[in-house]
Amino acid sequence: MSEKVPTSYKSVSLFRKRLRRFKSLKRGYYSFLLIVCAYILSFFCPLLMNYKALVVRYDGKMYFPILKYYPGETFGQQIYGQADYRKLKGQFKTEGKGNWVVMPLYPYGPYESLTDPSREPPNPPSFRHWLGTDDRGRDVFVRLAYGFNISLSFALLVTTVAYSIAITVGSALGYFGGKFDITVQRFIEIWSSIPFLYTIIIISSIIQPNFLWLVSLLCIFGWMGMTYYIRGEFYREKAKDYVHAAIAMGASDRKVVFKHILPNALTPVITFGPFSIVADIGVLVSLDYLGFGLPPPTPSWGELIGEGMSNIFSWWLVLFPFGALFCTLLMVVFIGEAVRQAFDPREFSRLR
Amino acid sequence: MGGLASYFIRRFLLVIPTFLGITVIFFFILQIVPGGPLEMEIMKLKAGMASMGGGEAGGGASGSELGRVEIPAEAMEQMKEYYGVDKPIPVRYAIWLWNVLHLNLGVSYVYAEPVWDVIKNRFPVSIYFGLLGLILEYSICVPLGVIKAVHNGSKFDLGSSVLVFIGYSTPGWALGAVLLVLLGGGSFWSVFPLGEFRSENWAQLTLWGKILDQGYHTVLPVIAYMIGGFATLTIIMKNSLIENLGQDYVRTAFAKGLPEKRVIFLHAMRNSLIPISTSIGHVISFFLAGSYLIERTFNINGIGMLGYMSVLHRDYPVTLGFLVIGGLLGLIGNILSDVAYALVDPRIRFK
Repeated sequence: MSEKVPTSYKSVSLFRKRLRRFKSLKRGYYSFLLIVCAYILSFFCPLLMNYKALVVRYDGKMYFPILKYYPGETFGQQIYGQADYRKLKGQFKTEGKGNWVVMPLYPYGPYESLTDPSREPPNPPSFRHWLGTDDRGRDVFVRLAYGFNISLSFALLVTTVAYSIAITVGSALGYFGGKFDITVQRFIEIWSSIPFLYTIIIISSIIQPNFLWLVSLLCIFGWMGMTYYIRGEFYREKAKDYVHAAIAMGASDRKVVFKHILPNALTPVITFGPFSIVADIGVLVSLDYLGFGLPPPTPSWGELIGEGMSNIFSWWLVLFPFGALFCTLLMVVFIGEAVRQAFDPREFSRLR
Repeated sequence: MGGLASYFIRRFLLVIPTFLGITVIFFFILQIVPGGPLEMEIMKLKAGMASMGGGEAGGGASGSELGRVEIPAEAMEQMKEYYGVDKPIPVRYAIWLWNVLHLNLGVSYVYAEPVWDVIKNRFPVSIYFGLLGLILEYSICVPLGVIKAVHNGSKFDLGSSVLVFIGYSTPGWALGAVLLVLLGGGSFWSVFPLGEFRSENWAQLTLWGKILDQGYHTVLPVIAYMIGGFATLTIIMKNSLIENLGQDYVRTAFAKGLPEKRVIFLHAMRNSLIPISTSIGHVISFFLAGSYLIERTFNINGIGMLGYMSVLHRDYPVTLGFLVIGGLLGLIGNILSDVAYALVDPRIRFK
């Protein structure tokens, strides 16, 4: 324990310095705060945007439809299946019997077809549906919000897993070097020349992937880029005196790799991370756009743009998802730029 | 130069296992999946026979009817032979590979034409857009990067950075979709046509009309193509020049009294073009990479669209042909990049 303190203290200090510099870069820092808040908030989407009521008080009893399914008859509704809480709310109000319904802030769900008998969907933005409805009558605003959570979760997961593979392979290559390094590098070279997007399209056309399938596919075909950087970092660090010292003192391979080199070799992971997230969101949206992404009816930005292209007069199906995509990517790029400035002593901007 | 030669020989040798690896993987994936072209054809046949038999009884063929219909064994054999699935998969792969080595990519199921002809016909359109986008990209990004580097931190630099950020966070095809909605005559302005390569009546237009028509159809897709590499290229150019401007040889050039323009454009510029020139090899694969997205958005019948549609229609000979040609172009592009790198930068020595 006593030997652990100084090294970890030292690395934290350098990290803290960089963190302080990152915080001083306002554009990136505020983008970071904003996107973290938005992401956390998006996990509460089912509470904020839903067609199910949060609380219902009916005949002196409390119900929590958000947690449990109630058929319409429970509340005296003459309908088949789930109770219609939006209608119920209006009905209770006019009756004035002391019954009430608390709806989420935006009372529409992501999978709900809100077909209006007077008009064919897609319908333009209105007071009820802020950003209009899509070609199946689903609320665009709700789908964008749910889609934000899915897109970002997807990108974070892909980046994490792909980088974990890259760090493992890259550090092994860089640390052990020799024939092992050359052989695996050849393999990586072959693997990298597989056309990435097209491959995923082909596989998606066959298996109709779900969320985790798609994450795995992207990781399987997308882990190679970072490997080179980690390998390079390991080669560079391995030649430094502190590593020689550690080896001379009889530290095991495991200790040298995990305790000494790895913490110093992770800079590219942090500086490339945001840009990898940008790329992964881009891939997901592209795949959804082509119809080879997440299975319907998953709320998805790419699918909405695709619908917009087949209904060219429904401008809201293209412009709003594009706006959401653009703002999200822009903020992540701002974060990436700031991180890079914070971690790179050189004075100029280095986007790539 | 000996090291260089052996490096490239090894590079070329590596092409062979790469090519085999990719094609084996995809050949097997495409052959073992259900819902392949044979199954689709059988379904179609059965549906046709069922509706012929029970046509008078009322309306199309239902699921239970499909199950009852039997296809004659002889016809089945013929179909299997036509689709080449009467042999085990490794044999099929060997035959396919043998044919590919003899420049025969097979026959498309959908177009009933040799795959190479189908692909060849689509090339000009894709090259037209790809090349135009690329030339414009380079002729805008390189000067922009240079100005940004020379006047680093100036108002122009900061202002144009906005453009770079926008370029970085906008997928080209998505921008294309937005432009189409805004300018394609949907709900807003009707300035440009709604995609496609040319108007339907192109053949009847006068020469001037043809040029104008082609131009109208070109603007939006080319912008979409351009935005793809815009940010990256500008930043590479800028950073590379800035890095060189900080080098000792530039200081020396300034110190001996050379005019600023000469130092920047003759001395520093030459060296800072190195990273740009190496990306030239990727130009080839640029025509294929990501082009299905833009071609689909603008409904352009190029090679990307072909590759995309072949997956949709399970036209596997075309899919494999697309992969073979795309893969080869990518590999050649990589090698070209290395050659360019070695030629431009004499310091590079390959191990």
